[in-house]
Amino acid sequence: MTHIFLLTNDLSEGYVILVTGLTIVFGGLLILTLFFKYALPIMLYIYKIISKGRDKKIKEISPKLNEQFTGEIAAAISAAIHLHLNEQHDNENAILTIKQARKMYSPWSSKIYGVYNKR
Amino acid sequence: MKKIILIFGVLSLLVFIRPLLGMNASSETTTITTATTNQSVDSNEDKTFVSEAVGGIKQFYHFTGFANAQSGNLIMILIGVIFIYLGIKFDYEPLLLIPIGLGVLIGNIPFLPGYETGIYEEGSVLNFLYFGVVKGIYPPLIFLGIGAMTDFSSLIANPKLMLLGAAAQVGVFVTFLGALYLGFNLPEAGAIGIIGGADGPTAIFLSSKLANGINILPDGTTVKNLIGPVAIAAYSYMALIPVIQPPIMRLLTTKKERLIRMKPPRAVSQKEKMIFPVVALLLTTFISPSAIPLLGMLFFGNLLKESGKTERLADTARTKLIDIVTILLGVTVGASTQADIFLTKDSMLIFGLGAISFVIATTGGLLFAKFMNLFLKGDEKINPLIGAAGVSAVPNSARVVHAEGLKADPHNYLIMHAMAPNVAGVIGSAIAAGIVLSFLG
Repeated sequence: MTHIFLLTNDLSEGYVILVTGLTIVFGGLLILTLFFKYALPIMLYIYKIISKGRDKKIKEISPKLNEQFTGEIAAAISAAIHLHLNEQHDNENAILTIKQARKMYSPWSSKIYGVYNKR
Repeated sequence: MKKIILIFGVLSLLVFIRPLLGMNASSETTTITTATTNQSVDSNEDKTFVSEAVGGIKQFYHFTGFANAQSGNLIMILIGVIFIYLGIKFDYEPLLLIPIGLGVLIGNIPFLPGYETGIYEEGSVLNFLYFGVVKGIYPPLIFLGIGAMTDFSSLIANPKLMLLGAAAQVGVFVTFLGALYLGFNLPEAGAIGIIGGADGPTAIFLSSKLANGINILPDGTTVKNLIGPVAIAAYSYMALIPVIQPPIMRLLTTKKERLIRMKPPRAVSQKEKMIFPVVALLLTTFISPSAIPLLGMLFFGNLLKESGKTERLADTARTKLIDIVTILLGVTVGASTQADIFLTKDSMLIFGLGAISFVIATTGGLLFAKFMNLFLKGDEKINPLIGAAGVSAVPNSARVVHAEGLKADPHNYLIMHAMAPNVAGVIGSAIAAGIVLSFLG
């Protein structure tokens, strides 16, 4: 903790604190603003380039490993990518869940009354 | 309401019939004399059973609240009941007003001093709980929970709104100056000024460091203990934000400005959300190291939330932990308003200054938003209403902005935009507290 007693008069020190304080608060948040507006996107871009690594060359890919990968599969994948990139296929929800439907009990739909009550 | 009046009627009746019973207690001295007479009663075996019983009852009476009640206690109890009423009936920050309101009742039950009962008596249970307030322990813990609750994404998406949070801090410094003009000394004025930051924990933190009744000034006098008045002023004005802000907002903005629609904030990636607390912590605390306890905990809590790996810790911080601390903080701050310490001219001045500080802070935010609009074009323009959210008070002021925006245009949803200056206001007021502390601490 620093003790900065610049002036003996309380009020004039008050003015000093008013001006410097506001400047520092503004300065601090301005630096944050500038960082997140300009520096962060650049940093993220650089990180992206670094982390991606270089692409594999075609001759490095062993054909023996990919015997299962036939032309039909490649065609299907490329067709899907083409449709996706050109937005020709609408996005569907990939999660399919069949919700259990619970019937509320009601004497009107009760099996018991229908089966056993012979009146 | 009728019932409350009835209860008060009965209470005040009981206090006022005291002279009729001939037991006009004037604190300790009487009790001591009764104690001594009682001893003589024991030695004197001629005394009848009835007179002994009456003596016992008399002595017991001197220990009760009725005998020790002063008008100040009753006024404070009434204030406590009003707090509880406002919290329950009007939903004004019930999580704060109800604990504080009941705390005010606890703190103002009249008692005979010297039996380790009161919050200011060394060794009493309440005094131990109050320790967390006096030493500034609770506020950082609250900030941890706030950090784990807060989503900074709207701020990351639109960083320029951060400046609105800074603009509203003008309330802190102008109030500080106002307090100096009214004759408070520098540390006290600093503690009063932070009410303008509209942030309860920050206000308690700063007042516990500056105006704690322990620090000694260079000229040899001890600072006053202003933690109670400052905290109560900060929290009650925070609760009254829906009353204070809308008129100023309408006064300072035109109908056309209130209709401005802002473009929706862009989506923010998880990576950015994780980087934010780390970078913001480093930048802000390097600028204002005195704010480390507050900002450190705030961003720590936020990192717990955003890291995606510590969900358990974040969950505890934003639910159980903050609840526990809020309970302790609310009750002890409420109880610290013991009438003989709280009901002073200083407290009244602090309340006046507090109201002004909120007005100035809101004005600062609104005007700065209008000022920013001068430089922004097209759909980049901001709705100046969100400037009012720069006065922290999360998330109450953002909600008020949203409601006010809806009044102007029922399809203009400002809440997401208003959250950005709102959370920036928290950071801003913590930095401001740090600066004031480094100047005056």
